[in-house]
Amino acid sequence: MKFKKISSILLTAAMAVSLVSCGSAGQKNSAEFSPALSTDTSCSIRVVGSYSNFESLESEFERFYEYYPNVSMNYVYLDDYNNTITSALMSDEAPDIYVTASWMLDDEKMTPVFEKAEVLSDQKLNINLDCIRKGAQWKTESGDTIMLPVFTRSFGMLVNMDLFEKNSLSIPGNYEELVKTCEKLKELGYETPIMGANGTTVAGMYYSFSFPLFCNDVMKNKDSVNALNALEGSAGELMRPALERLKTFVDQGYLNPEKCSEEIEDDYNAVIMRFFEGDVPMMLGSGDMVSGTLKRESKSEAFLSNPFKYKFFVVPSGDEGGYFLNSVNLFFSVNKNSKNLDMTNEFIRFITREEELGNMAAIKRLITPTNDFSLDEVYSSLEGFPQERAFSYRETGLNDAVGKEFRAAAYKVANGMITVEEAVNSYGKLWD
Amino acid sequence: MKRSLIAAVDLAIIGLILFFIIHYANTKMHESNENQVEAFEKMTVSAEQTITNYLEDEQHLCDIWANYINRSAQAGTPLTGEEAISFIRKAKISPMIYGHLIFLDDSSKKGISTHPSASDPNDYSVSYGNINLFENREKISREVGVVSLTRAYTNPQNGIQSIAFMNYVNVLDEASGAIKEALLMRVEPVSVLEDKFVFLKGEYESVEISLINREGDYLVHGKSLKNSNFFEYYRSYNRLKVADYNEMTKRVTSESGTMTMQNSKGEECVISYTPLRSVDDWFLLAYIPKKDLAANTVVDWLLLGTVILGLSLLIIFNYLVLRSYNIRLTAAAKAANQANEAKSHFLSTMSHDIRTPMNAILGLNEMVLRESREEETLNYSRSIQTAGNTLLSLINDILDFSRIEAGRMEIINVDYSFVSMVNDLVNMVSGRAQDKGLKFDLDVDRNIPMILNGDEIRVKQVITNILTNAVKYTKEGSITFKAGFEKEESKNDSIRLFISVTDTGIGIKAEDMKRMFQAFERIDEIENRSIEGTGLGMSIAQSFLNLMGSHIEVESEYGKGSTFSFALVQGVKDWKPIGDFEEAFKKSLSDRNKYRERFTAPDARILVVDDTPVNLSVFESLLKYTKVRIDKALSGDEGISFYRREHYDVIFLDHMMPDKDGIETLLEMKEISDSPNNGTPVICLTANAISGMREMYIREGFDDYITKPVDPDRLELMLLHYLPKDKIASAKESEVKEEKDIPDFISRIDGLDIDVGLKHCRSSETYLDTLKVYLDSAKGNADEIEKYWDDRDIKNTTIKIHALKSSSRVIGALGLGDLAEKLENAGETGDVKTLEDETGELLSQYRKLAKALEPLNDIRDDGGAKEKPLISKRDLKEAYEALSSFCAAYEYDSVVNIMESLKGYSFPEDEYMRFEALKKAVLNFDYEEIPTILTGGEK
Repeated sequence: MKFKKISSILLTAAMAVSLVSCGSAGQKNSAEFSPALSTDTSCSIRVVGSYSNFESLESEFERFYEYYPNVSMNYVYLDDYNNTITSALMSDEAPDIYVTASWMLDDEKMTPVFEKAEVLSDQKLNINLDCIRKGAQWKTESGDTIMLPVFTRSFGMLVNMDLFEKNSLSIPGNYEELVKTCEKLKELGYETPIMGANGTTVAGMYYSFSFPLFCNDVMKNKDSVNALNALEGSAGELMRPALERLKTFVDQGYLNPEKCSEEIEDDYNAVIMRFFEGDVPMMLGSGDMVSGTLKRESKSEAFLSNPFKYKFFVVPSGDEGGYFLNSVNLFFSVNKNSKNLDMTNEFIRFITREEELGNMAAIKRLITPTNDFSLDEVYSSLEGFPQERAFSYRETGLNDAVGKEFRAAAYKVANGMITVEEAVNSYGKLWD
Repeated sequence: MKRSLIAAVDLAIIGLILFFIIHYANTKMHESNENQVEAFEKMTVSAEQTITNYLEDEQHLCDIWANYINRSAQAGTPLTGEEAISFIRKAKISPMIYGHLIFLDDSSKKGISTHPSASDPNDYSVSYGNINLFENREKISREVGVVSLTRAYTNPQNGIQSIAFMNYVNVLDEASGAIKEALLMRVEPVSVLEDKFVFLKGEYESVEISLINREGDYLVHGKSLKNSNFFEYYRSYNRLKVADYNEMTKRVTSESGTMTMQNSKGEECVISYTPLRSVDDWFLLAYIPKKDLAANTVVDWLLLGTVILGLSLLIIFNYLVLRSYNIRLTAAAKAANQANEAKSHFLSTMSHDIRTPMNAILGLNEMVLRESREEETLNYSRSIQTAGNTLLSLINDILDFSRIEAGRMEIINVDYSFVSMVNDLVNMVSGRAQDKGLKFDLDVDRNIPMILNGDEIRVKQVITNILTNAVKYTKEGSITFKAGFEKEESKNDSIRLFISVTDTGIGIKAEDMKRMFQAFERIDEIENRSIEGTGLGMSIAQSFLNLMGSHIEVESEYGKGSTFSFALVQGVKDWKPIGDFEEAFKKSLSDRNKYRERFTAPDARILVVDDTPVNLSVFESLLKYTKVRIDKALSGDEGISFYRREHYDVIFLDHMMPDKDGIETLLEMKEISDSPNNGTPVICLTANAISGMREMYIREGFDDYITKPVDPDRLELMLLHYLPKDKIASAKESEVKEEKDIPDFISRIDGLDIDVGLKHCRSSETYLDTLKVYLDSAKGNADEIEKYWDDRDIKNTTIKIHALKSSSRVIGALGLGDLAEKLENAGETGDVKTLEDETGELLSQYRKLAKALEPLNDIRDDGGAKEKPLISKRDLKEAYEALSSFCAAYEYDSVVNIMESLKGYSFPEDEYMRFEALKKAVLNFDYEEIPTILTGGEK
C-alpha cells in the first residue's frame, strides 16, 4: 500500500516535471533571447556569401549587438563564390559562417565545404531547429543538421488586392473559382487576367502556374519518381493534367504568351514593373520576384501615383485549391574550425527563432522558413495553409532535370509549338 | 516693490547668469567640437598620406618585378611565364603576398601563380574567368610609379579578400616563341591594409576607416558602415533630396571634408573624407560616432550646480538681510504714517476749527452787508468780508495743496456756462483792481461757445490765482484778461481755450522763473513782503493744469510786467456764441453791489440741524429772500423728531455735533421706514474741508456736502439743484430792496402774493399802508357782507364783494380776489345758488387773512420799531428773569414797570411774538400766564 502510494507520488511528480519542461521548451521559442555566453565577450565574426548586399543579415548583426555589444560581425561578398568558398574555408582568413545551398549537397566539389560544417543539431548547442517548417528542414543521411534554412521561395502569383476589391471580387480558392474569376475579369475588360514572364525559367509563368500541380500528382505517384528522374519517355504522362489546364487557360485567353512576351522582357524586373502599372489582376512569378517588389515600388512612377495593396498567393490550380511548393533559397553553415566557434554558434542560436528569421525574410521579402508568416503581410495568405497541400520540392524526390523538362513542355504547349499529346510523348527530349 | 516682484527679478537675474554660463559653455563646446572635427579631418588627411605612401610602396615593389621581367625582354632574353613567376617567387618576402601573371588574351583570364591552390598543392594555375576585375583594363598603367590597383576581390586561389597592384610585363610565349603581354599582379590580403588602419586610428578609439570607389563600393569597410555600397547605406538611413544627395556624392568623391550622417541605429556620426591621391577613383572615409568625437558634449554640471547653489545662497542671505531692514523700515514707515495721520488730523481739525467761526463771521457779515444802510458800517463790513475771504482762500490753498500732495485731487468735469464763469472771475477781481486804481481790460472772443464741459471749479481757481497775483503784484497800470479759442481738429466737440492775463506789474527776473511754480516759494520775498500769500497759488494752479493736460506759460520782463497764459481743451455742449461779453459785463458791473436771490420757493420746506444757534440763524438769514420755509433743530434727536413728522424737500445736517453727530443722526434717520422723508436729499454741513471729505460723506450716505462758512451763492445753487423744480419760482427784480421793509410774517401769509402787492403799490411803504387800511376795514366789511347776505340783499352784497375783489387784488390776495369776482358775477347774474354755496367760504378766507394781518396793528402801535435800539440778549435775559421772579412774588407793579421799560427797545424777530404775548397778558391782568409765556409753553 505504502509503496503504491509512493510510486503514484513519484509518477505525479514526474508528470509535473515533464509538464514544466514542456512549458519551458515551448516558451523558449517565443521568449526573449537569453545570452548563453558572457555578454562582454569581444570577438570578430565573418560571414561570407554570394549576395553582394545582405542588409537583412546586417540588421540581425545590429540586433545581436544588443546582447553582445563587443562582438563585431561582418558580411563579405566573395567573388566567384561557388569556386572560392572551398579555398576560403581552408585559408587563414576562413569565414565563421558561410552561405550554402541545397544543390551543393549533390555536388562532389562541394564536399569539403560540408566537411567543415558544424553540426547545428548538436543538443549541446541548444539551437531551436524545431521552429523551422518540416519541409524546409534539411538533414544529412546521419540525421544531422549542418545547414540552417534562412530563406525559402515558392511559386505563385501577386494579386492586385485593390483591383479585386474595386470589382467586388474575392480571391479564387480553387481551379473552378479561378476560371470564374478570370471570366469575370475578362467581362470587366481585363483582356488577360493573368500575366507573367513567357519563358522557361523557374521564375517564368508556367512554372508557377502548373508545376506545383504536377508535383502534387507526382507526390501521389511516388513510384513514378525514378522514371521521371531518369527522363524515361513513358513517365511524361504525369505531366498531362497540368499541361492540359495550362492549355485551357491559353485557349480561353486567360493567359496570353504573345502579349506577355511583348510587354514583359525578363522574369524579374520587368515582371514587377509591369505589375506596378496597376492593370494586371494576377501576375505569375516566383518568391524571388516578390522579394524585388519593395525596392521597386519607389522606382515605378505608376505605382507612386496610384499605389495599391498586393499580396502573394499560390495559384489555385487544383480542384481543392493551390499547392504551396516551397524550396529553401539560402542556408547558413557554421565553420566548425571557427576561431570564435562558441560565439558563432551563439549567433546561429540567436537567429534560429521565428522572430529573427521572420525579420530577415521580411527585410529581404522572401518567405520565412518558419511557420510564422505574420511579419510580412505580402505572404500572409500562407498563414495556416493546409499541410496536405504544402510540400517542399525535396519531398517530391524529383531532380532538376525533371523541372527543366516540365518547363520546356509547358513553354512549348503554351506557345502552340507542340500539343499536349506531343509534349507527353516527347518527355526526356523537350529541354533544348 | 512687491516681494513676488523682487523674487521674479532675482530669478530673472539668476536665469540670465545661467543662460550666459550655458551659452558660453555651449559656444566653447561648439568651438571645441569644431576643433575636434577639424583635428579629425586632419587625421583623415594624414591617414590618406600614410595609405598613399603604403600603396605607392607596394606599387613600387610590383614595378620592380615588372621592370626586371620587362628589362629581360628588352635585353632580348625574355622570360617565360614560368620563369617570371619563379623570379617573383624568389623576390617576394612575405608568404601572404601572391604574384599572379595573367594572360588577358585568354578569355578565361587564366595565368600562373607564385602559390599553389589551397585545395591542390600541385596546382599553380589561377583563373580570373569568374571574377569581374578587369573591366577597365585600359586604365591599368604601364608607367612605373603609377599605382594601378584592383578593387577588393576574392583571391581565387585562397578565397581571401585581397587587393592587387598591377603592371604589364612582356614574357615569352613558349608555344609561339613570340613575346606577349601579360598582367603582373602583386596580390595582398585586404587584412594587411586593414592592419595599417589600426595604426592610423591614433587617439580615436572608435574610428573606422573605409575605402570606397567612385560608385561608393567598399574596398575596405568597418563594422558600422553596412551594405556593400557606402552611398546606398547613406541613403538608407538619411533622408535627402536628390539634389542634395548628388551634391554629397560629388563632394565625397572630389574633395576633402567632413559631414555628419545618421548611422543604422539613428545615431549621429561624423564622416571625414578625402580622395586617395595615389589612386584614381579611390576615396578614404573615416567614420566616428559624434558622441565619441565630441568629448565635451555637455555643460560642466558641477560648475553650473556650484553657481546655482552660490547664487541661491546669495539670494537667501540678501533676503534675510533685506527682511531685517524691512522690519525696521516698516516700523519707521508706520511711525511716519502716524505722524502724517497726525498732520492730516491737525489739518482737518484746524480747518474745522477755523471754518466754524468763519461761518459765523462771514455769514453774519453778509447779513450786515445786505441789511445795513449805514455807509460806515457797510465799509467795516466790506473790510471784514475781504479779510475773511483772504483768510478762507489761504486755508483753501493749504487744503488744495495737501490734496494735490496726497494725490487725491480729482478732475470732475461738468457742463458750465463760460460767461457765468468769466463773470464771477471778473466780478471778483475787477473790484480789487479798481480799489488799487488799476485799469482792468477785457478782451473776450465773442464767439466762444456758451456752454463748455470741464472742471469749472479748477479752471476758475487757476484763473483766479493768476488774476489775483496780477492784481497783487501790479502797483499801477493795467491788467488785461484775454480769452480766445480755436476748434480742436481731432475732436469735433471740443475747443482749445486760450486764456492769458497780462499785467504791467513788477515782472519776474529770469533767474526766478524756475522757482515760480514751486510750492511755498515767494519771489522777491523782501520786495513783496507786504503782499499776502502762502506761495502756493501758482504751484496749485500749475498742478491743476497739469492734471488737465496743460501748463502755465510765463513771459515776463522784470520791472515791466508779465503775461501768464495757458491753453486748455474743453468740451463743448452748446456752440451758441457768448456774444459781447464786455458790454454785458459793464452792465452787470453797475449792479455788482446789489444782492439778489436766484429764486424763490415759498412752498419749499427744509430742515437744518446744527448744534450752534448762531449758525442756524445765519443759515436762515441767508435764505431769507428765497422764502423757503425752514425748520431748525439744535440736536440730532430734535432733527430726527422733525424728520419723523414733517416732509422736507432738503435736509441740512451738521457733521460735528455733541451726543449724536451728523453721521449717526443720518443713519438713525435712514432706519425710520415710515418717515415722510424717504428719498429726501440730505446734505452734510461741515467745517471739514480737507481732501477726501466729499468721498467720505457720500460713502456715509449723504447726498452732498457744503462747507462752512456757508457760501451764500453755493447754498442757493445747491438748493436750486436739490429742490423740486415745481416749487421753484424765479426771483423778481424789484423785490429785493422793497422786501427789506416788509415784516417777515407778511411774507409767510398763505394766499398773499407780496410781489403782486408791491407791484400795485410801487413801494413797501405804500404796500404796508395799504395792508393796514385793508386790515382796518376788514372786520367791518366782513360783518357788512354777512349782514347783507343774511338779509338776502343781493345787490348790496354784490357791491361789497366787488370792493373786496379790488382791494384784495391790490394787496396781492389773488385767491380771495378771484373768489370775490366769482361771487360778484353770481350776484350780478342772480346766481343765488353760488352765493349760497360760497359766500361763507369767502367770508371765512377774508377773516382768516385779516387775522393774519393783525400784527400790522402792533407795528403801528410800536411807533416805528426801527428807531428803537435792539435789546441785547443779556438785557432780555435779565428782563425775563426779573419778570419771572416778580410774577412768582406777585409784585405785579414791578412787572408793569419792566414791561414799560422794555417798550423802549426793539426785539429780535423771534422774541417779538413773546413780547407781544407778554404785553397782552399784562393788559388783561393775566399775570399767571406770564411764566408760561416766558418758558415758551405758550405764545
